[in-house]
Amino acid sequence: MEMERTREERGVSEAENKPGIRKKTPEMSSVAGEPSALGMKIENLSAFYGSFKAVTDVSMDILINKVTAIIGPSGCGKSTFIRCLNRMHEAIPSARTEGCVMLEDQDIYAKEVDPVSIRRRIGMVFQKPNPFSKSIYENVAWGARINGYRGDMDELVERSLRRAALWDEVKDKLKKSGLDLSGGQQQRLCIARTLAVEPDVILMDEPASALDPVSTQKIEDTMADLKQRYTVVIVTHNMQQAARISDYTGFFYIEDMGDPGRLWEFDGTEKMFSNPNRKETEDYVTGRFG
Amino acid sequence: MPRETFQQELDDLVAEVLSLGGEVEGSLENMVKAMETRDAGLANRELGVDVRYKGWGTKIDEESMILQARQAPVARDLRLLYTVQTVTNHLVRSGTLTEHICHVIVDTVESERDEELEATLIEMARTARTIFHEGLDIFKDRDIERARDLQAKDDRVDLLYSEALNLIANPSASGGGDPEWRMRAALIVHYLERIADHGVDIGGRTVFLVTGERIERAMQQYLERDLGEE
Repeated sequence: MEMERTREERGVSEAENKPGIRKKTPEMSSVAGEPSALGMKIENLSAFYGSFKAVTDVSMDILINKVTAIIGPSGCGKSTFIRCLNRMHEAIPSARTEGCVMLEDQDIYAKEVDPVSIRRRIGMVFQKPNPFSKSIYENVAWGARINGYRGDMDELVERSLRRAALWDEVKDKLKKSGLDLSGGQQQRLCIARTLAVEPDVILMDEPASALDPVSTQKIEDTMADLKQRYTVVIVTHNMQQAARISDYTGFFYIEDMGDPGRLWEFDGTEKMFSNPNRKETEDYVTGRFG
Repeated sequence: MPRETFQQELDDLVAEVLSLGGEVEGSLENMVKAMETRDAGLANRELGVDVRYKGWGTKIDEESMILQARQAPVARDLRLLYTVQTVTNHLVRSGTLTEHICHVIVDTVESERDEELEATLIEMARTARTIFHEGLDIFKDRDIERARDLQAKDDRVDLLYSEALNLIANPSASGGGDPEWRMRAALIVHYLERIADHGVDIGGRTVFLVTGERIERAMQQYLERDLGEE
């Protein structure tokens, strides 16, 4: 059944038990002036679909244990960009990237690097919840098991579900199908599934856009906890969500129709939502276009 | 442009603030004239404005709060609503102080006065009126270049404040007027200094509105520079 799943879905949970990339957390000054460790460094990243350049020349630093939000009007390359961060972009035929994406001190696009090992370290949660048609327990355990996890699986499942703020709601029905859960619960199940393989970075592509306000709030609350342990990058159309949950915000923008998307402004979220430097950013966050 | 309704609501709110500001300016103008001409009748016309201004200010505050709740403003919109509330507060407070002064004018119209002290009060009142007017103008036109000049004008008020207090504490040989008038003059001095400060801050808040930067730091540098030169 797993074979029928899309390449994207497999990328979330499939992983190989390769030796981890050596960790290094260089100290740097964050854009807000407080020192923080660098989780990912993106330099001059461009993304293509065939000959079409969708994103151009993006350079940004993603800091460890921070939530970085990516905002911008439709079609500006936000999702394309975030999919480049765990080599999921290249899963689309003819899609390719240029530039450099460093996860700590490892270039994730280096020849010797296996994309699957990168996707284990950099997990992704999608817009629409996509649990497997397995039990709640198996949804969480499966990725860890094929990844060679030898520890106490019950403990791992409980820990992952707790971190995704779902445990209390499902602890009495772990054998039930993940598809029986509500949309908001399914999305938190997908977060738990991502957490179970112990990634360093979690990418979220509009994780709450298909959810009701209460479920959205639960996801947002979850993220506040997640960043204690993980580095989070989230694409969102909901600017108030970005303002509420993120530490840093990147605004993507297309200057003229047909141009590739660019990172127009990147700064601390407080700055971006109170006094951004560029007019286009201010026009976008105040809802004057987009 | 998207959010046309919201923009219209913001424009209406600012128009409301300017309208309140215009009325307070009118009261201030009458107060200065009444001081200049010892016209208790003119001063008397301003008694009761305080209640009206407070009610008006409350209405603006409520509208501002509703806009914040409904529109979740950020960036310049958020700064505008924040500034609107602060400026409104300054306007209402200035109106209240103006009425207080008019009360004194009415109550002491028959009192004997120290002419030098009275002249100082009148100059202080004119300067405060100018600062208030300019602060409101800066807010209206978003003309922040002028905001920094206001501080210099306020220094003049502070100087007059010291002069007036000195005259109150050390009456001239002619006696310095009725004791009650001198006591009330001390209150007028304080009220005028406050009105000037409200005007300066309206200008300062406009700097924040336009640039997102606090003027306090720039002002502090200005003050420290002056101290350094002395």
